[in-house]
Formats: sequence, C-alpha cells, structure tokens
Amino acid sequence: MDSVTTMTSCPCVPSTVWARPQSRAALDAFFRGFGFTAEADLSALAAWAMDGYAAHGAQPQSALAVARARVETWLAGVLGTEHAGGSLLARGRAAFVLCDGASRGARVLMQPSAPEEFTRQLRAAVPVPAPSQVTAVMPEQHLTLWPFGEMFRRWFRGAAPDVSISR
Amino acid sequence: MDAHSFSPESAGLRRAGVLGLAAVVTVAGTLEMHRLLSAQGTSAPEVLLLVLFALCFGWIALSFWTAVAGFLQSVVGERLPGPRYPTVDEEAVPLRSRTSVVMPIHNEDPAAVFANVQATYESVPATGHLDAFDFYVLSDSTRAEAWVAEELAWSDLCRRVGGQGRIFYRRRTDNTGKKAGNLGDFCERWGRRYDFTVVLDADSLMDGRTLVKMARLMELNPRTGIIQAPPLCVGRATLFARLQQFAGRVYGPVVAAGAAAWQLGESNYWGHNAILRTEAFINHCGLPVLPGKQPFGGHILSHDFVEAALMRRAGYTVWLMPELGGSYEQPPPNLLAYAQRDRRWCQGNLQHLSLVLASGLHPLSRAHFLMGVMSYVASPLWLLFLLSGLAAALHDRFFLDPHLLEQPGLAYDAPGALRLFAVSMGMLFTPKVLGLALALARGDEARRMGGRAKLVLSVLAESVLASLLAPVMMLFQSHFVFGTLLGYRVNWSSQQREDADLPWSEGLRRHAAHMAVGVGLAAAALLVSPGLAAWLAPVVAGLLLAVPLTVLTARASLGAWAARKGLFLIPEETEPPEVLERAQGITEEHAVEPVPDAVERVLTDAKAHALHLALLESQPGLSLDTPPAALESARRKLLGGEPEPLSAQEKVAALLDAGTLAEAREQRLTRAVS
Repeated sequence: MDSVTTMTSCPCVPSTVWARPQSRAALDAFFRGFGFTAEADLSALAAWAMDGYAAHGAQPQSALAVARARVETWLAGVLGTEHAGGSLLARGRAAFVLCDGASRGARVLMQPSAPEEFTRQLRAAVPVPAPSQVTAVMPEQHLTLWPFGEMFRRWFRGAAPDVSISR
Repeated sequence: MDAHSFSPESAGLRRAGVLGLAAVVTVAGTLEMHRLLSAQGTSAPEVLLLVLFALCFGWIALSFWTAVAGFLQSVVGERLPGPRYPTVDEEAVPLRSRTSVVMPIHNEDPAAVFANVQATYESVPATGHLDAFDFYVLSDSTRAEAWVAEELAWSDLCRRVGGQGRIFYRRRTDNTGKKAGNLGDFCERWGRRYDFTVVLDADSLMDGRTLVKMARLMELNPRTGIIQAPPLCVGRATLFARLQQFAGRVYGPVVAAGAAAWQLGESNYWGHNAILRTEAFINHCGLPVLPGKQPFGGHILSHDFVEAALMRRAGYTVWLMPELGGSYEQPPPNLLAYAQRDRRWCQGNLQHLSLVLASGLHPLSRAHFLMGVMSYVASPLWLLFLLSGLAAALHDRFFLDPHLLEQPGLAYDAPGALRLFAVSMGMLFTPKVLGLALALARGDEARRMGGRAKLVLSVLAESVLASLLAPVMMLFQSHFVFGTLLGYRVNWSSQQREDADLPWSEGLRRHAAHMAVGVGLAAAALLVSPGLAAWLAPVVAGLLLAVPLTVLTARASLGAWAARKGLFLIPEETEPPEVLERAQGITEEHAVEPVPDAVERVLTDAKAHALHLALLESQPGLSLDTPPAALESARRKLLGGEPEPLSAQEKVAALLDAGTLAEAREQRLTRAVS
C-alpha cells in the first residue's frame, strides 16, 4: 500500500487487496462525492485513505471514518484555520467540487499540499453562508391600540387588553 | 424622552404652513361646494356628496401644498435642518461603524436579485470602505426550485467577486412574520454584529457612495434611527413601466422634497432602500401581533410604517433624504402587476387603521398611518363621490319640479361649478407642473430627458395616459378596499417583475367588469343630460378603453418605440449611472441556469449537490422542520425502484435531509456505473 503514496499520474491499486467489497464501495461513494469518477482515481484514493490502516478487516463504517479523517486533515491543511469548524468536510468538499478539483486527478488529494493557485481557488470557493451568530432577542413591543378603551376596561375590570396576542 | 426634542425650530412653522394651508383650502372648497349644492335645498345624496368632496378635496389639497413645499425646498436648495452633515474632513475619514446590507427575497428571479447584489457590492470598494460592509441575501423562498437556484447563484457570485465571508446567504425554513419576520430573524442572529443595517428590496439597487453617505450620517447623528433614501424607479422597458419611471423622475423629487421639508425627523420608512440603527431597531421595533382576525388582526403586513412609528416612539428620528441619490428600484411592468402589488399594500395599509390611536405614538406617526390609509381609501371615496353625484343628478332630474330650476336664484351656478372643478384640477396637476418647471430649469437634466420640447410633450402625454388609467385603478383599489373590509385574504406572493407581454384575453378577463361600469356610468349620465355625460367622459373613456390601455402599455416594444421618439426619457436611461449599467451588464453576462426540478438538479449535478449539502450542514437543525410524512414519501419515491415525481412539499422535505440526498445520489451513480 505504501506504493500508492508514491504513485504519480495514474494511480492504480488492484481491488483484490480489499477483503471487504462493501468497504471499497463505501469509499468509492465517498470520493465520488468529490467528483471523482474514474476507476483508477477511486482505487488510488481508497488506497491512499486506508494507507497505514488495517484495511483488510475494516468494516465499511470504519473505513469511511478513516477516509473522512484523512480528507479533513488534507482540507484543514489546504484551507487553513480560517475555515476550521464542524462542517469543514462538507464545505471543503463543496469548494473542491466547485473548483472542479477532480479534473486534476486523484493525486491532488494524495499530496499533503495543493498547488498554490489551486489552494487560492479552493479558499475562495469555500461556502460561508453566514458568520457566527451573536444571538439577540427582539422584544415584541407593547401597543395599547385604543387607550380610551383600555381605560374603560380597567374601570370595569374587563377582559383581555387589546395588545399583542402573542404574549 | 421628549418626542419633539429632535425637530428643528422651524418644524412648527413648516408644518403649520403645509397642514394649515391644506386645511384652509379644504374648508373654503367645501363651503363653495355646499353653496353650489344647496341651490335647491340639500338632498340626502348631496349631503353624502359634500362629505366625500371634503375628504377627496382635503387629500388633493395636502398633496398640492406638499408639492409647493417641495418646490420651494428644491429652489432654495438648502439641506434639511436638523441632522448634522459631515464636513469635507469628516468625509475623508474611514467609517468607524459596521453596516450590513440585507436583501430579503421570496421566490424571486435569482438572476436579477444577484445581479443587483453584485452591482451594489462592486460599487462599494471604489469608495474605499468595503471593510465596513457585509451583504446578506435573506431567503424566504418556499419553492424548492427558487431555493436551489439561489444557492447556485450565490456561490457563483461569491466566486466571481471574491465575496466569500462578505456576501452571505441564509434561507429560512418557515416564513413566520413574512418580510418583517425575515428581517427580525436576521436581527436576532446577526444584528448585534452591526451598527447599522441597510434594508433592500428584491429589486433594489444602491450606489456604494450612497451606502457610505448613509452610514456616515448615522455615525454623526446618534439619535437618528432611520434614514430613508427615496428610490427612483428605473430599468424597465414596457410603456407602462416607462410612464412610471418618467413620472417618478419628474414629479417624484418635488413630492419627496415636500414631504421631507415638513415631516423632518418624523418622516416615514418605506421598508427598503433605507438604513436602520440596528440596536435601536432590535430593542424597540419588534412588531406585535395584533389581536383579532384579518384584515385588522394578526401579523402586521406593512411593517415599515409601524417600525418607523416605533422607532420614533423610542425617541429616534426618522428622516427622508431625497438628496442622497443613488437609490433605485424597479416599477411593476404593467397595470395588472401594479394592481397586484397594490392589493397587498392595500390590506397592509388598512390594517394600520387599528394603530392610529395606539398609545405613545408621535402625532405625525399617526398621520402617516392615516395618509397610508387615505392613499387607498381615496379611490372608493372618489367612486362614491361620482356615484352620489350621479344619484343627486338623477334625483333632481326625476323627482324635482322642473319649474324650480327655471326660477332665478334656484338654478345651478354652472360657472361656479366649473370654477371649483378648475381649482380641483389645478391642484391635482400642480405637482406635475412644478416638477416639470424644475426639470426645465435644470438645462442638463432636460437635455438628458430628450430636450425641453420632448420633455413637455412627454409630460402632456403622460398626463393624458395617467388620466385614462386612473379610473381603472380607482375601481381596482375600491375592490381591494371593500374586499379587505369584507375579510378577503391577501396572498402575499412575489410580484411579477419581468417585461412579458399581456395577452388580450387576460386583459379582457380582468377588465370586463370595469367596462361594464363604464357603460353603466355613461348610460346613467345620458339619462340626466348630455352635459353630464361630457363631464364624465374622461372617466367613462378610461373604463371603456381599459383592455387596450392595459395590453398595449404592457408592451416593451411600445416602450422602446417611445424611447426612440425621445418620449418619457429619464437621465438614468440616456446616461445610466455606473451601478445601473453594471447590474444590467451582469444580468446579460451571467445568465443563471434555470432549475426546472430542484431535487433532480441536486441529485444529478455534482456542484449543486456538494454545495447544497455544505449549506445544509452549516445550518444544523434545519431537518427538524421537515414534516416526517413528506420525507417518508419522498424517500420512498426517490429510493424506490421506479422514479416518481415528487410533490412540492416532498421536494422541500428531501432537500432538507442531507442523508436522503446523499443516499439517492449514490444510488443513481451506482446505477450509472453498473
């Protein structure tokens, strides 16, 4: 498996190394989410993800968790601390797909750092839908719609006042 | 806090001038009308006629004196007294404050929305103050297709301008409180990050220089709560829209300057193209839910007037500043779209009736509510005035002794009636004349409006067309007012914003009743006398010609023809400001790919899929709003053997569930591979 990390333009690992086809299928699905479709790319990425891990006996969920961690580490390195956070993987994947990263081949993910220009593109493409929230409460304003009526109601101990019904 | 503490010393004089003169003219006109009507005694329809006349005449008188005030203010050319304006040195200093520019949207065309956001955004760096601004598109879109198209358009925009981290997009899953609720949600989540908030409409466009000016004024005037930059209607091509644009450009400034001149720090807020002091807005402008049922109860529909009143109640001033410039919006493309928008606004404004007497409000805030109500109620009043006049004439024709009319002293004072009519028409058209006079006096402006001769010709043609369209709008608005009072519900759908031709069948369908009213009016008038029919001719003609007027004015080809002839030109067409030109260019340059089926798009397009999932994950908890039954049936359809079309609710449910989307996409990819 070590050989995978040294592969260059056409990574290829025989699928026979995978004792569990379900694990391989799960990893393929994961990497297809990044836009990779070529079998060669998927094989190489699966091998890269599981490098140094006891893949032969891995359950699909474990294999997936390892792959996620790998890619997250890669994304954290490339995107920097600015984009660190809970949804790093989803946002990083979106940036990767939006920049058509898969067209650069599996190798781009398998190297610890991406080319500078691609890194710049990726960082600019990370979706940041909103900044962190600073929660506030917008208190509902009290409006006595008819002060004279309110006065009469008080005198006669009337029913509900004519203010907001959502209180 | 003293409610009057921010009004300059001249406020009382200015208000007495406009309101006092309007009152004097109304009383004089009503007395004259009473004299005319009481020649043979006063019948019941005549009493009603007199009351209606007083209300309609008062409304015209207020507009007249406001326009006169605006004319004087424009001629003198001085700034409004009250606010502190920046010195040259202060203008050179970087802004100390942070401002959010928010655009609430609801099922709009994303191409137009994001083109406007981009043009506005790009105009800010040139001012050197980009760091002081963040932009938010606040989506309340309920259609799945609009939602996904917005996400894609937002992502494209951010990548084009490098706006990630500065241009944000948020979609709500529930539309509580509609636009006001949308803005309230923003305030509660991110409002505290900003000193000020500029509110835009879906078709708003603002120049970066105007944004900076507004933020600067807010910095210098800490007790100012809202500054409204009156938007200019631009950017449409249909004849109807070009008429609106022209009228807004020639007469609008006089009216706006007049309103600003006497309302001063107690002006109104129009809901968009305005800057708010965020903390004051959060603390004092949370809208109550009104007791009772619609139309007067429930959520406040037209939130802007109420927010301005609450802001003023809290001791902050509200200013209308026409001189700011650089503030734009688009008019509706045709009469029917205009009426559709009016229907929404009508209910919202009538709802304000229940707030007129609310405790603690500034008298001018109450006046704003009443003026808003009157802008719609004037139509049924005018209609009733016409009908009661007709009834009075019929009464005299059939129930009065004809010999009475021949006796000296009992005959109608026809010259007097004509005089009163002429005065009414004069007051009605004075704002147009004053606006025209100002435009003619400004040589460069007149040149950019086709030259002085074309400008005068355009005003004459616009006046004729507006007079013909007015009776139809009177019937539309009367229908809306009576419908609202009878409890019809208003559908707050997004308005039509594109320049599409109207079919004749649609015109006929919408105006059949109006034409019938026209025929009825003409027949009743002819029963009385041909003279009365001649008096009513402009109204009858407008109603009988409603279909061709609506259909033909909806045509962009006629709008373009008029432009080629130099008619209804505005300076923003002949020499467009950069921000307008840029917005137009972006719309043409970056066409947004349509999304015919949102779920299909998210499942088949890798970019849409990854982006959508990323946005879902950035807003945890969204899927909690998914109706379980809808999600279950969506899953069955998506993950079952044969693909089945999803309902609108199922689409939204599927789009809210990342797991379902990932599973369905994977299933499709696996199928494709095998």
